[in-house]
Amino acid sequence: MKVRVNLYGTLRQRFPAYRPSEGIEVEVPEGATVRDLLSLLDIPQSQGAVVIVEGRVLKAEDKLRRGVPVNVLQAIGGG
Amino acid sequence: MKLIRVNMSDKTIRVEDVPPEYRGLGGRGLTSIMINAEVPPKCDPLGPENKLIFAPGLLSGTVLPNTSRVSVGAKSPLTGGIKESNAGGTMGAALGRLGIAAVVVEGQAPEGELYFLRIDQNGEASLVPAQEYRGMRTYQLVEKILARYGEKTAVLCIGPAGEYKLAVASIQSSDTDGHPCRAAGRGGLGAVMGAKGLKALVVDQRGKSPDPVADPEAFKEAVKEVVRIVKADHMNAEVMPKLGTAGLVAPVNSMGAFPSYNARRGVLEGWENICGERMAEIIQERGGNPTHMGCSQCVVHCSNVFVDEQGKYVTSSLEYETIWAMGGMTGIADLDAIARLDNLCDDIGVDTMSTGVAIAVAMDAGYKEFGDAEAAIEMVEEIGRGTEFGRILGGGPVAVGKHFNHDRVPVVKGQSIAAYDPRAMQGHGVTFATSPMGADHTAGNVVGMYLQGLLDPLKPEGQVEASRFLQIAMAAFDTMGQCFMASVALLGPDGGEAFRRLLSAYLGTPLGPDDFPHALGVRVLKAEREFNRKAGFTKEDDRLPRFFYEEPLPPHNTVFLISDEELDSTFDF
Repeated sequence: MKVRVNLYGTLRQRFPAYRPSEGIEVEVPEGATVRDLLSLLDIPQSQGAVVIVEGRVLKAEDKLRRGVPVNVLQAIGGG
Repeated sequence: MKLIRVNMSDKTIRVEDVPPEYRGLGGRGLTSIMINAEVPPKCDPLGPENKLIFAPGLLSGTVLPNTSRVSVGAKSPLTGGIKESNAGGTMGAALGRLGIAAVVVEGQAPEGELYFLRIDQNGEASLVPAQEYRGMRTYQLVEKILARYGEKTAVLCIGPAGEYKLAVASIQSSDTDGHPCRAAGRGGLGAVMGAKGLKALVVDQRGKSPDPVADPEAFKEAVKEVVRIVKADHMNAEVMPKLGTAGLVAPVNSMGAFPSYNARRGVLEGWENICGERMAEIIQERGGNPTHMGCSQCVVHCSNVFVDEQGKYVTSSLEYETIWAMGGMTGIADLDAIARLDNLCDDIGVDTMSTGVAIAVAMDAGYKEFGDAEAAIEMVEEIGRGTEFGRILGGGPVAVGKHFNHDRVPVVKGQSIAAYDPRAMQGHGVTFATSPMGADHTAGNVVGMYLQGLLDPLKPEGQVEASRFLQIAMAAFDTMGQCFMASVALLGPDGGEAFRRLLSAYLGTPLGPDDFPHALGVRVLKAEREFNRKAGFTKEDDRLPRFFYEEPLPPHNTVFLISDEELDSTFDF
């Protein structure tokens, strides 16, 4: 299934052609998890990536759903 | 280790050794414990009995990076309770290099008199008449001060708002470029400074007499390890240097917790136009600086220089909290307007957070439309001119709510909330409600725990514990003079251990795991709460405004769920 991914933080720099208005479309297998997606996008753990869907922070083992856009951001401790 | 006591009533200056009960303290710990010991809790915050204390952190002036914070303490004219507000820039390191633990400003100059307090390269303090600077805004003021005393001068100063003694008046701090763009913004401490008759604290940065380190070799080694941990943290290595604190706009909106339109919604329409990612792009395109060193001895570089379309300086460090207060709360999704408002607030000398929220309350009451940037700019200008409405706005959100008879006023203890809605980030509600400072953005900021998936922001479970842990840790780190970014990176077990080794070497006293941050943080919080109690605060003051309990916040449509009993257990120690 295809998933629309919006990138934030410095993660955009890993995808030089990234356009915020479009995001990127990623093909993932049915039942793919957050961990699978980050691995597919080649975003290492050191980047502090956080996946937020419909206002909720997902856990690594949570499954992605068809047609629901995914925001991939970075954890920040405040400011 | 010395204290400089300046009496503004009779213009005497005394230098004392730090008495034993204050030793080992700096920053917030020192200002709060001194105020609790020396200021009558029921005094008029703008009267001669109040004291205004400037204290660099315990480690300011050492080689440890990120320690140029200066704490300013007093009884607050905004909250009526104890206040510590700290600022970055150059002052913390400047005072530390002179071995000055605190400058304590007492008494009150006769009406109409105005002074600079100058401290030279040798640590000699003197009061300098400053009548000709009356009414001057901070950018022009600091330019004149640097021209008079030299570029290597650190300045803390007030603008017109401080001279008018307004409850949102800030104390502005000069950055490494000599711009008064960093602020001890919260709690109206600029008004206390104005009431004392002090326009500026002017300190030579070239001091060479810092307090000695007990074990210099061990300290040097420990510094290396602390710096390694701070720099390895992805937030400090990646996000802060490229986006600054504005990097929070995207996560907090994505979580539906960005208080917008005076906290009527949790997502701002058009937030992508004012997020850190967009800000960095704009700064790059126009030739500004997205990775700026705002504070002495900084290795994180979370600051930025925002420029206009012609590439001309507008403001430095456009920060998350300002973007929220001036953009989210007011519905102004326009970075150029927000940057102009930020500059105006710095120049007039008002807290961007309390001022933005005061504007939002006025808009919510129907005075102007949400999103009207020109109206917001004119409102802030009115503060600068000291008009009747400007003085109401400068009284803060509560004063504006009273003026319009409008009850949606998002404050605790009179101080506005920060950029996290307690209905969608419950732990922030605990911190806002219970912090002795009033609602606050650094006192116990839980957002990192939510983003790391350690805690569910919408459920009440675990929120009190998280807030308690962070409030204690921050009270301890605020005592060190170390900035929030570095401190957050040291909250884990390795960071805590490395920092304790460093502090042990500095003090020459071995510290155990309970000593720092826990015991120190608890000591500071106890002093602050004791002062507030004596000032008349009760547990009823540790509550959020009603509407957070009753009015669901879209998109999650949740309310604040923590019971009064749970809130009252926050400081069970």
